[in-house]
Amino acid sequence: MAASSPRHTSCGGPLSGVRVLEITKVWAGPYAGKMLAHLGAEVIKVESATNLDEMRAYGGVDIDSAPYFLSINQEINSVQVNMKTEEGLALVKQMVAESDIVIDNIRPGAMERSKLGYDDLKQVKPDIIQCSIKMWGNDGPLGYQTGYAPCFAALSGLFNLVGHHGETPMGMNMRHGDSTAGTCAALACLAALHHRERTGEGQFIDFSAVEALSSMVGDSLFAYSVTGEVPQSDENYHPEMAPHGAYPCTGVDWISIAAPGEAEWQALCEVLDAGELAQDARFASLALRVENCRVLDEAVGELTGGHDAFDLADRLRKVGVPAFKSMNSIDLCADEFLWGRQGFRLVSDHRNGSRPIIGPSWRISPDGPDVQRGAPLLGEHNEFVYREILGLDQDRFDDLVARKVID
Amino acid sequence: MSALAGLTIVEIAGRPAGEYTGKLLADFGAEVIKVEPPEGSPTRQMGPFKNGVSALFEFFNTNKKSVVLDLENKADCVTLDRLLARANGLIDDHDEVWGKSHGLTSGEVATAHPHLVHLAVTPFGQGAPAEWQKAEPINVINASGWAYHSPSETPDDKPPLKGPGRFLADYEAGVDSALALLASLHRQRQTGKGQFIDISADEVLLNRIDCVLDRMLAGEAEPGLERTAYDMGGPMTAFACKDGHVYLFMTTQVHWLELRALMGDPDWAKEFRDDWLEFDCTPENVRKFRTGFRPWIAKQVKIPITEAAQKAGVAMVSINTAAELPRNEQFIARGFFQEVEHPAFGKVAYPTVPYKLSKTPVRITSPAPALGADSGAVVDE
Repeated sequence: MAASSPRHTSCGGPLSGVRVLEITKVWAGPYAGKMLAHLGAEVIKVESATNLDEMRAYGGVDIDSAPYFLSINQEINSVQVNMKTEEGLALVKQMVAESDIVIDNIRPGAMERSKLGYDDLKQVKPDIIQCSIKMWGNDGPLGYQTGYAPCFAALSGLFNLVGHHGETPMGMNMRHGDSTAGTCAALACLAALHHRERTGEGQFIDFSAVEALSSMVGDSLFAYSVTGEVPQSDENYHPEMAPHGAYPCTGVDWISIAAPGEAEWQALCEVLDAGELAQDARFASLALRVENCRVLDEAVGELTGGHDAFDLADRLRKVGVPAFKSMNSIDLCADEFLWGRQGFRLVSDHRNGSRPIIGPSWRISPDGPDVQRGAPLLGEHNEFVYREILGLDQDRFDDLVARKVID
Repeated sequence: MSALAGLTIVEIAGRPAGEYTGKLLADFGAEVIKVEPPEGSPTRQMGPFKNGVSALFEFFNTNKKSVVLDLENKADCVTLDRLLARANGLIDDHDEVWGKSHGLTSGEVATAHPHLVHLAVTPFGQGAPAEWQKAEPINVINASGWAYHSPSETPDDKPPLKGPGRFLADYEAGVDSALALLASLHRQRQTGKGQFIDISADEVLLNRIDCVLDRMLAGEAEPGLERTAYDMGGPMTAFACKDGHVYLFMTTQVHWLELRALMGDPDWAKEFRDDWLEFDCTPENVRKFRTGFRPWIAKQVKIPITEAAQKAGVAMVSINTAAELPRNEQFIARGFFQEVEHPAFGKVAYPTVPYKLSKTPVRITSPAPALGADSGAVVDE
């Protein structure tokens, strides 16, 4: 276990005392780091002014207040190292020696070329846990290939399962994928941590972002093996519920409605004042409603058309029908329930004092994590890492800065 | 050897969210004792079926044990209590109303078993209005904003979509649940103490879009009614090719010049400035590009053309169908699908996990349990 530090470098919580080093960029890797940080780990992000995380550049000119970066990297500590120098790489290894977990998501082969592969890291920290996130994993015939979230989705089978009737498959929103992969990677790290605590043994985790997304439809892929029926794009249809879909409301709004059984169907008809539908022989049983789901969808869509989505969803839920407005980004930003639950919350911010963020999905008590520090300035934790963790003296630290090994 | 050997988890889940949480831990080697009502978990009644057995249940409950307890009955509640006394964790996915009526609220469990990590995963988290917690996965996906913005580039008159499969919200929530549970079990190793963990599936999904939605919360990007509010813009999308579809991701001059060369430098492509993706990526240019690219890519075969693109540094990939995955050379090389002899199904291939742990690989060692298969053995311990 890495020594716990007197400084405020983690948000407290169940992973207090665990130290994670991340050599990550863009979204999937940093998100894995964030998940562990928001559970209380002390997460140190290795950065360099000459090889920045692209997220420090997107959407602005100030690398210390780049919107994308600030949105992800709360409770992260930033240390600068020029990894293009031998000296810098030696310092990274010193940091590894003081860490429990190392996460990377840089290009296939890059860690190994920098002598930061698992065999190298084991030399400096025999029980290190290293998780290497790649699009397709670390080896194999297609391991050289690279891509971004929608590429993971395309290769994983997910993309092909989503689209409107009769159109080219279109996938989920193209942003889906990185954060899911990052979470699965964080999970694997903690399983390995448990193994290490029981046995003293570290290990290497070879992580495939493509497979992380395939695992999101594991039941469908398994069902294919069992029944031989190939999973297809199914829009909003469900084999065991009808209606089950999104229906138009006033303006450009939509409402999601699911009717798993007879009681929900009757209640839906009542709220929609749809006596005729309730009597219609084509919809007389759940099996018939599923069979005639396309006609049913049209009929329900005609009835929802004049309703306010928030109001209708509220009335349906009150009579036991699962329903929710299809929330747009204005709805979400203004959502009182989410603000009230601290689903959205404020953290510190170097430029503006505070910044709203999307908080973790967990509330843990007692002694839960308290996420309150915004994303770090580049190198904000240089002194902490070099002086306190590595124990370098001030002269050596100043010299490394002067020679731009710390840059 | 398995990563979580020695940990015992009791699961009283009845939905895929809680069952997937338990599966993730069971597949890592934890002893997961699934407590089922006499009629069995509701997921046993969900299709598809083969030989009268639910493939869905069989997937979500690998490597677990099954104990039947009727929690409406006092004697069986005492048995559950005994199980919890020797367990490390408890997974529940019922709402608070159920917890209250079964003596399993967070307070009651913490008082009776202060060492225990108790996790409850629900659609909207503890304290949400009771009627919200009846939400199906499609409602949660819509509540989270993902559906409204899926697929990318959807026009106003097309419905929001729920995403792939039936249970995306449950899967995503299951991963966060397993993660938080393992974190708290780590603390339990250090301190001997338990915690209560409240997971909201809605907030799991919101967190997944952090760097897009948070910029709107922070006032750096405008929220709006647009279905495209989460999109990146640019020419990236799916294209039909000779034997299916490909996805092209392209954002830089290097990508463009390599792609242009791959196409054999056609005349239409020469009308674009070299750095158009970075500095002239207008909707008009995106349209022009797609119009020029479509007839060319339509004649290509997906595997060879995407391999050629990848070797040139262009992130073009095949859009794989579910049927193609088990035959894909990379999935085969990594062993993502594991063949198992199943008592009701015969030889079947389970999709496994995206992480290959060098010392503690995940294996399906036993198919899902028959109802009550371990009632005797586990309860007598």
